[in-house]
Amino acid sequence: MKAPIKLKQRSYSGNPQKNSPALGATIAYMGVDGLLALLHGSQGCSTFIRLQLSRHFKEPIPLNSTALLEDTAIFGGWDHLKKGIAKGADKFKPQIIGVMSSGLTETFGDDMVSALAAMRQERTDLADLPVVLTRTADYVGSLQEGYQLATLSLLKTLTVEKVPKEGQTVALFPGAHFTPADVEELKEVLTLFGLKSLVLPDISTSLDGHAELEPAPVVQGGITLEEIKKIPGAVAAFSFGTSMAVVGQKLQEMHGIAHCNIPSLTGLEAVDNFYLKLSEISGKPIPTQLLRQRSRLLDTLADYHDALAEKRISIALESDLLLSLSGCLQEVGAHINIALTATPLQEAFIPENLPIAVGDLEHLEERAAGSHLIIANSNARQVAVPWKIPHLRAGLPVFDRAGIPQKVWIGYRGTQRFIFDVLNTMSSQ
Amino acid sequence: MFVNLSKLHLKEECPLEDKGAPKLCMKALPGEGAERSCAFDGARVVLMPIADAAHIVHGPIACAGNSWDNRGARSSGPQLYRRGLTTDLHEMDVVYGGEKKLEKAIVEVAYTHQPKAIFVYASCVSALIGDDIDKACQEAQKEVSVPVIPVNAPGFMGDKNIGNRVSGEVLLQQVIGTAEPEEDHPFAINFIGEYNIAGDLWGILPSLDALGIKLLSSISGDGRFDDIRKAHRAKLNVLVCSKSLTNLVKKMEQKWGMPYIEGSFYGIHDTSETLRMIAQMLGDQSLIERTEKHIAEQEEKTRQIIDPYKKKLAGKRAVLFTGGVKTWSMVTTLKELGIEVLAGGTQNSTPEDFLRMKALMDPEAQIIEDTSAAGFLTLIAEKKPDLIVAGGKTKYLAHKTRTPFLDINHGRSLPYAGYRGMVTFAEAVHRTVFSPVWEKLRQSFPPGGEAR
Repeated sequence: MKAPIKLKQRSYSGNPQKNSPALGATIAYMGVDGLLALLHGSQGCSTFIRLQLSRHFKEPIPLNSTALLEDTAIFGGWDHLKKGIAKGADKFKPQIIGVMSSGLTETFGDDMVSALAAMRQERTDLADLPVVLTRTADYVGSLQEGYQLATLSLLKTLTVEKVPKEGQTVALFPGAHFTPADVEELKEVLTLFGLKSLVLPDISTSLDGHAELEPAPVVQGGITLEEIKKIPGAVAAFSFGTSMAVVGQKLQEMHGIAHCNIPSLTGLEAVDNFYLKLSEISGKPIPTQLLRQRSRLLDTLADYHDALAEKRISIALESDLLLSLSGCLQEVGAHINIALTATPLQEAFIPENLPIAVGDLEHLEERAAGSHLIIANSNARQVAVPWKIPHLRAGLPVFDRAGIPQKVWIGYRGTQRFIFDVLNTMSSQ
Repeated sequence: MFVNLSKLHLKEECPLEDKGAPKLCMKALPGEGAERSCAFDGARVVLMPIADAAHIVHGPIACAGNSWDNRGARSSGPQLYRRGLTTDLHEMDVVYGGEKKLEKAIVEVAYTHQPKAIFVYASCVSALIGDDIDKACQEAQKEVSVPVIPVNAPGFMGDKNIGNRVSGEVLLQQVIGTAEPEEDHPFAINFIGEYNIAGDLWGILPSLDALGIKLLSSISGDGRFDDIRKAHRAKLNVLVCSKSLTNLVKKMEQKWGMPYIEGSFYGIHDTSETLRMIAQMLGDQSLIERTEKHIAEQEEKTRQIIDPYKKKLAGKRAVLFTGGVKTWSMVTTLKELGIEVLAGGTQNSTPEDFLRMKALMDPEAQIIEDTSAAGFLTLIAEKKPDLIVAGGKTKYLAHKTRTPFLDINHGRSLPYAGYRGMVTFAEAVHRTVFSPVWEKLRQSFPPGGEAR
């Protein structure tokens, strides 16, 4: 049963659900306070990312570009990268610069590490400016992979020193599938257990859509450089989504901190497991507030069990979100008709009985007939509308529904909300 | 067929030394935060609204994945143009080449989607690894019955403007003039550079219909491939967005002797003026008279409707930051609502557009030089305008400055063209300027406190 579903093989992608890895890396960078993101590529690479993220988060996206042109394809983009970092530092006064490569620079093999070293030699005044480099070739992976690589790079670049252990402090690595409100929910839950959290990246205070005091062309909100430096002092670490496991493992490897991967935080059992772990670490029982939420969720499941059971649901999402939501749906008796991921998933992570395959929204179109519900990003309206199938927006981009960054999908409350959304969407058509 | 860049005469068209002038051939500086787009985007922006064609991007996911179906160009019929189609190059394709994959993709797309034509766009990566998209298109053409047209404008070629021009060349060399219309309509015209954003075109068509003018083809808003093939038989080209396609109308004039005019359908004045020019160029006395009558009626009707808005908006001051025809036409349109333009800027315009904007603006008005987010914020802080009129890229940054904002570019959902569009525009400006939310955003809380 574990073998992926066989889809019609095509030489093209039709209505892709993939975004570029650099776009994912940009989201991760947006969770770091005072950061200026810089894309090493041609201008369109960064323009497309800014537009895509802006229309999803309804926020300005401070992303800069090294603005490569034809000559760089011949002579290399080294000089542009050096100039780009220096210019960005001079003009925007960021505390950190986060660089990403593109398909263009990876294809001609630009060496970002030595370009950065050369820049630091020439500009000794910028010798100590933290610069994070992430290799995000457009032709490997999708949003989730780019986000993972940038988080890994932030961790490796910015947490070198030994810091004293801080009791009851936990490092958290939320996945690319977490909304700003999910990250906030996670932090609040940790507080209920009396735990302090260091969240990398933390988009809950930077992409949550608040009216800042003074608008600025660098990231405002998010984890600070000082807080990132404290991460090695955490007593435990959690990563969320299977793709983020490597980040937690890296922390364990570098600083000897016990790490646990939480593949999903949506669904009763998934949330139970996590809260039991928090109870263990904190030495405190599960707070009554959370038990109350759990009780409400159970009541909802009883009330609506018949409306959920055996409903056929087709999903196309990046794998972390796909596993979370499909797991929750199967738990309440719904059937997954087809589960399409943007990029391949390691076999070890594929659950039994999940009809999974790598596919685009044209594959969804070919497979969705007879479904009671589609769960996918806004682009899937090209499938849902002609087929007249109710469509719950999830993933990225979602540009035709309000309040997306503020939506919670995790914990007991988020699970309950998700169940309501599934029910309400199914009955809306 | 490769477009010969030297024949696009790019250099001679950027003579302006003026501060803030759009630089067609100037390179953006790395790290300056210019927020411009690339040639690939420029090419696709022009061609993609051809609604019954398939548009295949030959490149890795970044070029198509992040950007398909993200513009507001509307179609009254086929929806094929909205589909994201890409060869989605992977690592192995980059190592071994993607030409064969592209050939197969073209054939599969033709079979699956039955397009009227297939446009194939090169990208930075496919160009860099040396994929010959011309050859791949030729090979695929042997198996495909509709035209397969390569568009060689990889992103690193330059700014969006250059891609716009390349797409004009592609249409000229491979599409226009390849079919003949059934009838010879005396008042057949083409629109060049009207992209039907949010249905702009449909605000203009009622006037054309009322006057008996036939829109033979629209390049490219709500465009149909077969209509564009016949575009050379129109009596007149109406260049709506000169930024993108000036080269196209000039060459159509040389090749087929077609005259052209430049016009705008934003605002009452510009709409009337453009209709008047069309009638005069078509040279029919009765049409000219009909047009004058139509203009008089429509102007009066429109002015009546917008008058209450104008009264309330009089004396408000705006910052305008846009491209193309809107660069100057919006200055007039805002003035028609009694709004003064305090500062104006542009990246994606021709030098002519820029000069027209300057001529229309108050001599005291400022030209925006630093078009990055940082420059924009400084300007807003200094000028404290009552309204910002710009594109989606600026929208959320503008909101952070607590200033009423109107999206004028491709992401908007309302049509602003023609007389009908002017009413929609006036309503939209009024809604945002007088929205009660701005005052709430500016109030300190708790009362008397520092924080807002």
